[in-house]
Amino acid sequence: MRRFTFPALVLAVGLLILADLLVVNASLAGVAGVVIEAVILVAAGAALAAGGSLAIRRARDLRARRGDPIGALAVLGGMAAVLVAGLRPGSGGASDPAVGWIVVALIVPIGATLFALLFTSTLAAMRRSVARRDRESLVLVAAALVVLALLLPLGGEIGAGLAASAGWVLAFPVGSVLRGMLIGVAILAAVLGARTLLGVGPSDE
Amino acid sequence: MSDRLTRIGAPILLLVVLAAAGLVPSGLDIADPGSKAVDELRIVLAELDDGAAVLVGFDPDVGTYAEIRPTVRMLLAELAGRGIDVSIVSLTPDGRALALAERQRAERLAPDAQEIVDLGFIPGAEAALVALGGAIAGTSELASPGGASLEATDLIIVVGGNDLGPRSWVEQVQPRIDAIPVIAVTPISLLPEVEPYRQSGQLAAVIATPRDGAAYRLVADPGPFAALGDADGGPPALAIVVGLLAAIGWLGETVVRRIGPSLGPRPERDRS
Repeated sequence: MRRFTFPALVLAVGLLILADLLVVNASLAGVAGVVIEAVILVAAGAALAAGGSLAIRRARDLRARRGDPIGALAVLGGMAAVLVAGLRPGSGGASDPAVGWIVVALIVPIGATLFALLFTSTLAAMRRSVARRDRESLVLVAAALVVLALLLPLGGEIGAGLAASAGWVLAFPVGSVLRGMLIGVAILAAVLGARTLLGVGPSDE
Repeated sequence: MSDRLTRIGAPILLLVVLAAAGLVPSGLDIADPGSKAVDELRIVLAELDDGAAVLVGFDPDVGTYAEIRPTVRMLLAELAGRGIDVSIVSLTPDGRALALAERQRAERLAPDAQEIVDLGFIPGAEAALVALGGAIAGTSELASPGGASLEATDLIIVVGGNDLGPRSWVEQVQPRIDAIPVIAVTPISLLPEVEPYRQSGQLAAVIATPRDGAAYRLVADPGPFAALGDADGGPPALAIVVGLLAAIGWLGETVVRRIGPSLGPRPERDRS
């Protein structure tokens, strides 16, 4: 039963919040509010712990001379720069101009550049997929080609036709598959939740 | 050696051509003058009284924010031009950093505009959205550093990214608020996810493509805060066309070269 403790806790909290949404009751709202505050605090603590864990792991890598020392130095240096800028005496915290400069002048351009490089790396990955000569890859690449053609930003009648076709593709084939997946995931989560709450495991089948 | 040169050189050449295409004036215009998305957005904005209160959920990610940044800036400029009270809240670290950057930019470029109220960062993702929904509905208090009341909110604008987007707002906030419209500005990669919500009316308007963003920037009226609007900050149309054509050509050539052998019988494996 022990393995069911955390999923059951999650489901109990979920059901409580759901009940608070459906039923107007001051006591229920109070309990749900306390739970939500607790979840928010736990999330904040988890984020802080994750940051600390990353720093410790990178510091150990650096000390033991394993992995990527330049990457570890960059991570630790970046964390230190933001912490010093935000926590030094007289600093305005997260809204301090020095923190803002680090974000705007360094983090955003680097992030956007890495994301832009996905353009060529995704194309290369798709070429490699096709080179494997399986039909799934061909279908994937063919669908990507169709979408790329539909997204060409052209004007006039051709552009209007492409936009209308893109809208149809989005509303019907893509939309129906995505909705089907979302509904399927929701049903699966509900069934799994019920099984967990009732203590039904694979050994009971 | 030749293969290796092609493998390394082709992406570099493509990036150089893309960069050049971004610098050359092409006369191409990606704005769609008949954009339904922009019409829907204009209707929602027209229903706002001057002095209304708008809550902006600011959670783009650094990777895709460049795509929607000019549109977001123009939207903020238009709201400032109408004297609308704007509060900004983030639920992701990336969103918080970008929100602060945009807020500082607004203070620098438009010091006379009404100050954007900073509600800060609320951890907890979906749980934080539940708390926000309660604060907007007036059933609970907002646990944020800003601590302002949100009960007078007239419109919610979700600036979404890959971490937390309009879908979460529709699921967690909208059931808890009454008749407050929610609109979204997101990168095009989220369009399949948000389009069903737009069709169902749960999102009153969605700007999620470069075409719609460019079309909105053409018709938006930032009033005295044009510098804040960044009207010319959109992506160069020629670079988009070149990039898409390069991708089509590259992948198309691969498919044509491979399609015969792939659809035919596979070569028998040597089982010896």
